[in-house]
Amino acid sequence: MSNDIPAGDDSVEMQQRRAVLKRVAWMLGGAVSAPAALAILQGCSAKEQPGAAWTPKFLTSDEGQLVSAIAATLIPKTETSGALEAGVPAFIDVVLEAVYPNDAQAQFKAGLAEFGAAASAAKGRSFQELAPAEREAYLKESLEKALAGNREPKPFVLMARELTLLGFFSSKVGIEENMEYVAVPTAYHGCVPLSEMKKHVYWE
Amino acid sequence: METNSFDAIVVGSGMSGGWAAKELTEKGLKTLVLERGQMVRHPDYPTAMKDPWDLPYGNRITQETRKRKYVWSRTGYPTPANEIWFVDDLENPYVEEEPFDWLRAYHVGGRSMHWARQSYRLSPMDFEANAKEGVGIPWPVSYDEIAPWYDKAELFAGISGNVDGLPQLPDGKFLPPHDLNCVEVDFKKTIDQKMGRKLIIGRCANLTAPLTHNESPQRGTCQARNMCIRGCPFGAYFSSVSATLPSAERTGNMTLLADQIVYELIYDNDKGKATGVRVIDANTGKQTEYFAKIIFMCASSLGSAYIMLNSTSSRFPNGFGNDSGELGCNIMDHNKPGGSSASVEGYLDVAYTGRRPNGFYIPRYRNVGKDKRDYLRGFGYQGRAARAGFGRFNDSAKVGADLKKEFQEPGPWNLGMTAFGEILPYHENHMKIDRSKKDKHGLPLLVVNAVVRENERKMEKDMRDDAAEMLEAAGYKNVTVRSDNFNVGNSIHEMGTARMGNDPKKSVLNKYNQVHACKNVFVTDGSFMVSSGCQNPSLTYMAFTARAADHAVSELKKGNL
Repeated sequence: MSNDIPAGDDSVEMQQRRAVLKRVAWMLGGAVSAPAALAILQGCSAKEQPGAAWTPKFLTSDEGQLVSAIAATLIPKTETSGALEAGVPAFIDVVLEAVYPNDAQAQFKAGLAEFGAAASAAKGRSFQELAPAEREAYLKESLEKALAGNREPKPFVLMARELTLLGFFSSKVGIEENMEYVAVPTAYHGCVPLSEMKKHVYWE
Repeated sequence: METNSFDAIVVGSGMSGGWAAKELTEKGLKTLVLERGQMVRHPDYPTAMKDPWDLPYGNRITQETRKRKYVWSRTGYPTPANEIWFVDDLENPYVEEEPFDWLRAYHVGGRSMHWARQSYRLSPMDFEANAKEGVGIPWPVSYDEIAPWYDKAELFAGISGNVDGLPQLPDGKFLPPHDLNCVEVDFKKTIDQKMGRKLIIGRCANLTAPLTHNESPQRGTCQARNMCIRGCPFGAYFSSVSATLPSAERTGNMTLLADQIVYELIYDNDKGKATGVRVIDANTGKQTEYFAKIIFMCASSLGSAYIMLNSTSSRFPNGFGNDSGELGCNIMDHNKPGGSSASVEGYLDVAYTGRRPNGFYIPRYRNVGKDKRDYLRGFGYQGRAARAGFGRFNDSAKVGADLKKEFQEPGPWNLGMTAFGEILPYHENHMKIDRSKKDKHGLPLLVVNAVVRENERKMEKDMRDDAAEMLEAAGYKNVTVRSDNFNVGNSIHEMGTARMGNDPKKSVLNKYNQVHACKNVFVTDGSFMVSSGCQNPSLTYMAFTARAADHAVSELKKGNL
């Protein structure tokens, strides 16, 4: 099971299933998608970006671009891979369609449109056209507002972040660059100093 | 129809059916095992070795699966990694007069494929409670009688655990225990010192060391992947598919048929015996009869009771062996109304490696020794401590490079636990058959009506509050009490529909799991349970099945069946 299991949350018998329930609840918040233009805006070359080759199916092309911009702003490429390298926009497109119920799909699409319009109104340019630093500042402000306010129904930016995190930590680069992923650990050791671990986060 | 005749028929290939198959074939009986679902063979588990990025949708259940497996979806279990093991509820309807989670697994191995592997003995206290308290009927079997069969089950299956010396949770023949992690070790000390409550490592059917016998060469030791629910190609956890069925197969005495839905027992009035079973092929609808000297019903508690209720004759107008009127009644499970979790400060320089397919267990302490409550029986907790994963970032306002920096460090520690409480046997908690409603095979629908009642509700307060009390005693922060809406069945420990007893007027089975009124039929799945304890029950089914098979063969040889 992936690493977002809230540790304390459970019993042996229940830990996996509760984790899944939590993640499902967590998902029923929202989603996003996006293509190649974005990558270029971010100053990355298209060939570095698996996301670049992607054509949205569930989202429209415009929606896809905005979703890509949001995902890439949340988790940009730094010395390690970002959301685009992890294929997060395509992931979001697919998950929205297959996993999300209709009402959550609609909520996401409406939230996305609102987010795009609000950004344009505030900044005089579309979110995608903003410089990376401006996008980051705008998104941070949006998240702070959302976290401080009513979370039911889940604000769009929180939905988008959940999906971005899920997609990122379901990807090979997202997992392997940030965690120690061992397919066959062979043994469990219950108390290991972080200093003795290859990476501090152990995929579980 | 000689090819359709066997010494024994086993209906169902799950936890109990696998044991019946192994024991009967090893004692030389030509045995037909009938499974209503598809074939599964060790070590062919299609998703077992998939990496997380090879699973679709971030391993989230799709809307389509959620719709089809709507009862299973209530548990949170199904994901793309494991959904093959969960029945399509839409295709297999039943009627819930009260909400009831009937969680079925129609394939070879049944629910032994994806059980939680927790393996505990019932204690002398559990076997004596009904008689002492005047609840239900007394168990006809004592702890001492079943103890050697627990030994046998543990040794063959391979149960890891610690020798804890607790009278309410007897020790067994264990493989080495898993580690508790650093936080759990300290929590154990705290609740023992401050409250006298015991915390132990879970006892589980994962091979922490090689088996102590050579009967299962196909099984290897646990690799700490914690992906048991997908099926283990290493054979490291016990299931029918990894353990008992291969043993049965090796005898050369087993015929295992998949996709065969047993819907009726054939009763011969002149002989006063069951002579066989009637079967529908799940794919073709073809009907077949199979015959044998003895029949083991191992189709799950509701499944076996369904077949028996559906088997009417002039001798048994109300269902097979149902002279007592108790068939289908006294449905129990384990009540699971919630628990508690908290944040643990400190321990930031330590974590764990490997994925432990196990957690801790806090055995029952209520109504044990001098403790006296205003309800009967008690509950245990299952839980664990772990470091929080990436889900915690959902509550952070960080974005971009600031957020990514945190990806490289584990989250804070949390500790949580869930209570499993005993449910008393109530005649009113029952199932029946509605012949006016049919499934796609033309078989009548099962109707179930079971709820938790006053004793369980009284216990729920302690189940939640005690958990929080222990977490507070340990000095943990953000202690949250969780209140879950529980449907009977949701613990997947449903049992009691054909209880055993010494009095045939009040029970369906005798102390050897034989139908009182038809001695060549044995029911050895959870149906026979007289009380539920609060421990996970599979080990008890294994022990009683092995004992019943031994008795059956002995009686057969004596010419008594």
